[in-house]
Amino acid sequence: MRQINTDVLVIGGGATGTGVLRDLAMRGFKAALVEKRDLTYGTTGRYHGLLHSGGRYVVKDPQAARECIEENRILRRIMPQCIEDTGGFFVLTPWDDPQYAPLFVAGCQKAGIPVEEITIDQMLQEEPALNPEISRCFRVPDASADSFLAADLNAESARQYGALVLTYHEVLRLITKGNQTSDGKGSFRVAGAVCQDLVKDEEVAIDADLVVNASGAWAGKIASSAGISISIRPGKGTMMAINHRVVNTVINRCKMPTDGDIIVPAHTVAVIGTTDEQVSDPDHFAIEDWEIRLMLEEGEKLIPGFKNYRFLRSWAGVRPLYQEENTSESRDITRAYVLLDHAERDGVEGMLTITSGKWTTYRKMAEATVDKVCEKLKTKRNCRTHLEALQSADAHLHRLGSRLAQVEAQKDFRNVICECELATYADIEKAILSAKANTIDDIRRDTRLGMGPCQGGFCTLRAAGILHQLRQPAIEQTNAALCDFLQERWKGLQPTLWGQQLRQERLDELIYLDVLNIDHLPGPKETRLKSEPYLPSERQETPSPGSNLPVETHSHLPRTSLQTDILVIGAGLSGLMAAWRGTAQGKHLRLIAKGWGTHYWGSGCIDVLGYIPATQALITKDLAGQLELLIKENARHPYAVCGLDQLQAALKAFQEVCKQGGYPLDGTLEKNWLLPTASGAIRPTCLAPSSMLAGDAEIKTPAIIVGFDRFFDFYPHLIAANLSAQGIPAQGILLDLPSLRSRRTLSGRILAQCFEAPEFCNEVVQHLKTKIPQVFQPGKELRVGFPAVLGLNNAHHIWKGLQQALGCPVFEIPGLPPSIPGMRLQQVLSQAIQSRGGEIFEGMQVQKAECSGNEVITVWSEAAARQKPHRAGQYVLATGNFIGGGMVSDADGNVAEAIFNLPLKKPAPSTPWFQSDFLSPTGHPIFFSGIKVNENLQPVDENGRVLYLNLSVVGSLLADTDPIRERSLEGIALATGYTAGTRLGEVQS
Amino acid sequence: MNPKLHQPVEQTLDQCIKCNICTTACPVAAVTDLFPGPKYEAPQAGRFRQAGQPTPDRSVDYCSGCRVCNMICPTGVKIAEINARARAVMVEQGKVPLLLRLRNNLIARAELVGKLGQPFHPLVNFALNIKPARWIAEVTLGIHRSAPFPRLTGQKFRTWFKQHPKPANASRKIVYFHGCSTQYYEPRVGRAAVRVLEANGYEVIVPPQNCCGLPLLSNGEFQAARKYHANNVRHLADYARQGIPIIGTSTSCTLTLKEEAPELLDMHDEATGLVAQMTYDFNELLLNLAAEGSLNTEFQPIPLTLGYHIPCQYRAHRLGKPGLELLSLVPGLTLIDSQATCCGIAGTYGYKKEKYEIAMEVGKPLFDFVRQIGEKIVVCDSETCRWQITHATGVPAIHPVELLAVAYGFPAEGPLAQLLTAEPRRTN
Repeated sequence: MRQINTDVLVIGGGATGTGVLRDLAMRGFKAALVEKRDLTYGTTGRYHGLLHSGGRYVVKDPQAARECIEENRILRRIMPQCIEDTGGFFVLTPWDDPQYAPLFVAGCQKAGIPVEEITIDQMLQEEPALNPEISRCFRVPDASADSFLAADLNAESARQYGALVLTYHEVLRLITKGNQTSDGKGSFRVAGAVCQDLVKDEEVAIDADLVVNASGAWAGKIASSAGISISIRPGKGTMMAINHRVVNTVINRCKMPTDGDIIVPAHTVAVIGTTDEQVSDPDHFAIEDWEIRLMLEEGEKLIPGFKNYRFLRSWAGVRPLYQEENTSESRDITRAYVLLDHAERDGVEGMLTITSGKWTTYRKMAEATVDKVCEKLKTKRNCRTHLEALQSADAHLHRLGSRLAQVEAQKDFRNVICECELATYADIEKAILSAKANTIDDIRRDTRLGMGPCQGGFCTLRAAGILHQLRQPAIEQTNAALCDFLQERWKGLQPTLWGQQLRQERLDELIYLDVLNIDHLPGPKETRLKSEPYLPSERQETPSPGSNLPVETHSHLPRTSLQTDILVIGAGLSGLMAAWRGTAQGKHLRLIAKGWGTHYWGSGCIDVLGYIPATQALITKDLAGQLELLIKENARHPYAVCGLDQLQAALKAFQEVCKQGGYPLDGTLEKNWLLPTASGAIRPTCLAPSSMLAGDAEIKTPAIIVGFDRFFDFYPHLIAANLSAQGIPAQGILLDLPSLRSRRTLSGRILAQCFEAPEFCNEVVQHLKTKIPQVFQPGKELRVGFPAVLGLNNAHHIWKGLQQALGCPVFEIPGLPPSIPGMRLQQVLSQAIQSRGGEIFEGMQVQKAECSGNEVITVWSEAAARQKPHRAGQYVLATGNFIGGGMVSDADGNVAEAIFNLPLKKPAPSTPWFQSDFLSPTGHPIFFSGIKVNENLQPVDENGRVLYLNLSVVGSLLADTDPIRERSLEGIALATGYTAGTRLGEVQS
Repeated sequence: MNPKLHQPVEQTLDQCIKCNICTTACPVAAVTDLFPGPKYEAPQAGRFRQAGQPTPDRSVDYCSGCRVCNMICPTGVKIAEINARARAVMVEQGKVPLLLRLRNNLIARAELVGKLGQPFHPLVNFALNIKPARWIAEVTLGIHRSAPFPRLTGQKFRTWFKQHPKPANASRKIVYFHGCSTQYYEPRVGRAAVRVLEANGYEVIVPPQNCCGLPLLSNGEFQAARKYHANNVRHLADYARQGIPIIGTSTSCTLTLKEEAPELLDMHDEATGLVAQMTYDFNELLLNLAAEGSLNTEFQPIPLTLGYHIPCQYRAHRLGKPGLELLSLVPGLTLIDSQATCCGIAGTYGYKKEKYEIAMEVGKPLFDFVRQIGEKIVVCDSETCRWQITHATGVPAIHPVELLAVAYGFPAEGPLAQLLTAEPRRTN
């Protein structure tokens, strides 16, 4: 067993632990700290980020209030880089007792907290989102704090004073010396701890003269291993982050502290918190549905329309509340800290426990603890932590705009890795190399990577790619780290998945499952370093009103539009296919859409069925046979509704139109291609552009995977390592091309533009040949993979040209959106539609429909100043599922089809919408929802009665399958679009 | 749930799902890497902006405001508006150098330039076309020496309109918002508009009006724009109240009245709303007449095949392509849609020294199209786009209403007249 000796061992890497460590080190003690995960992994990293003025406690706990204001002043001085001086309001809403306000003011004055009442006008001027019904508003010196950074700086300062910080060291048991009986009695002392090094997977014994138990809510658990009983009541608090800073001031309710009564602006988000519920185990608790609901309702009192904001995620931490006697309500326990000398309390020497308290008072707690340490070790050394400021490389003031200002000043747009939080390559590199991040979650805590709206949708792959490039671990380790992080994000996303965040989540699923196929990467799907999950919530039944969104009629408005034969709503693959078929017989057809469709995000291939839904078995051969089985088992599957002959015909017709457009797609229902993705996983697909086929995994020729320096959507080494792990010898190469070096942005689209120029292609070829001349030798078998950016308008020719110039097969590998291959499909289809006289208009979001009996009369699209009506003989609804905006959901658990309010098939109210595992092979129940249709794709009610005779529904709006999980997204789109378009094209109008 | 509720501009950033479609579509980001793209500027940077704090922005000034991003965003982020507001904060905080701000104010005030310059139009037109003067303007003011300045007219539109006899048997009334270009530079468009409206039984009213304020809005000069818009509302609201539609031939002016000014300036009073509600684009209104069956369809054939480009500010009305739709009713006339994104000029953007090259690069596919069609004129609804196309290709550009006027039998003017006299009878 590895052995470490120290004077003082601190257990716990939160605010208190790192604060104690710094204080110890500054006073000259030899000290070490162990933390079971990363610093701030526990409660410190899961709070709302408030630097208390103390106002919150002035009535209930004046002692805590006084400590807060004292420390507030000190922390502003010693760590200005961690504190944003937002100021705070205490506001009296109509739901609050007016009698509290004078008590509050008196309490502030008594505690020495500066308090100033401002007018409601002034309040609204500063914070326009606040409820105008608020009757009083008091300003106090609250602020928002970066608890991640503060702990890091404390730890770094401690290191510089000689302390040792050991993260991912989980305490297994305390070491005791002396006679300890089996029931923990006897005369003994604590002399250190045995830890498990989770990274190296080995035990470490740390001997210490004194142990400081600063493990917060876990203090009881730690102490119990030495037979010491501490009654720590973990009080779980749940918080939610709003996508943007709805307020820039800390907003408190002016009343006794309760649940959901505070909103803290922190970095780019605003956090509402918290709940407070006793849990039995600090490692096992759930984010409950009622907590989310409660915070939405309380938030509404502070900010009208609160529920309609976008919530990014939710998280929960456990407050360490010390309790000698039982009290029923955890908020009644003092928020001042507790320092236990177990020699005095339990007759056990060698250990102190510091617990309770707040982040704001961490320094004072540390000071008191180390004073006690001095006393125990019989030495007198003075505390200096309040005198010496914490140093950091950029000690600029913490301000919301800082990161943007920095990127703007350097014009370094291309190096932004996490686009939501503007974390740059340099930040990530530092977190990996200097801060020695073990997981992507560690990188997140250092850089805010993955903490924005897309919750890692784009940057998880990037972080994994960079991690792999810099560290070159075994590829299975990188893969598991990637999955760990997606799962870590998922656990906090689940409780807030409705509205745009649900849409975002579905896009993230499309990226990681459909395009990157990471659920089929080699190696295990998780590591022992993974973030621990919350328990599943006991989700209450959410109210689900049968019908909402009343269909409005506006017959008095002028008819602005001339009638068309067919109106297609939605510009995804299904809409485009329907439109193309609909124009075949010379019908006057118009396609309108809010924006561009889902194929801009996909692989650019046509997936028909990749995996058997029931068994998850990969389909390689006899796709047609597997489809037969599928529709036998699921008679309502969209393929069953259209029939497989329609699918066959659709694929054939699609291939024909692509061929005519100069962009051939190859494949049949005989088999699936097995093509590499930008994660290096192999994905099954039915039709693929010719330019991708040489990547097929059935071919075993060695592959060179080519990326471009600082093109952060594509990681050749990651891909090559994964291909090699799957039996395809591959090597990754990064090209540093002079023509790209000076570019400030480098997206897939820019690269596609570059490849349109022959000079650029030549440059690529010459560089490759000179960089690895030994590979490009006549007679040597080889193939070369590029990101799927080989041109937009002349892709097929560019690809052929590259093959010729390199003298070997070349293939494209699809990756993160935007999908250049998807854009090519859009171009081909749009041109085909327009060449037959069909019209395509974007920017037209259909908002409502006017129907009469079982006929659609008019639909209305959003336009400047007033809605625009569209009349047609036949309508095709191709607006997609949640991801396309065809289905919408809200915080109250309502789900609806967005235009006609068609009846939806959705999970039974008692069924949870989501599985606890992001990558769950069976998929999340909510994504099986959709519209029921008859064989003509007309929407039907429960009894199979057609609702609107002149409306057809196509694409992923259809119920009874999760096309992303089964990899059938494009196949269903084409088959249903083809079926509807063909039928309507032939209908006599 | 009500996804239809109107959301304040900045709040629409919550809609973004980061999908990159806008970055792919942006014509400016395609040609310069000084502009990292719409997603970066609006929904991303938007989360880092804070009222009352020093603005962190710089690159957002390279947004041309063409609104292509708004049109193809599948989730409804008001990207162009967020950018316009961010630029206004830069202006307000003095982050735009004083000289450039002076320049912006000059090129954004076509009305003022017209008012002061028109009486001396021969002199001004001469001066604006001599190289040394333009060189000086570039060096001192930052107005690019090659940027397309229109020629001031000898007779202002309103002067013509005052002398124009009122029709005897008008059955309905309409207000014409002519805009600065018709007043000072291209009065022929206004004359055609009046004739076409009168051919449809309208009595045309031309109330006092000023610049719609769009050039000021897109230069971040919100205060000045507010004054302009408030004035226009004052002049137009009474007509709107009476239910008299307000029609414009400049697609940018009508968009500003309908939406841009109220939204960007947060003007949500009753009168502003009424004016917005009653404002119509010229083709839009005529198509409404067609749908109602009250459009005069006695069109004489125009046997021409011409290229057509829909301006970005027209697309942003979200009406499709009403110009094409309406002109398709004219027998013999065939218009070929350019399918191009943007001509690049974006109002005043392409006049600026530091942005001229970008604008020309953005418009390249359109210019190629115009050259390839090889016709003697091209059709486009917006004035600055017409000037830009002509500047880049040498091909004169006309407004669709000029073709309509000819179809109703009125004499052609300007480039169209030259074309029709040169090739009077070309049949299909």
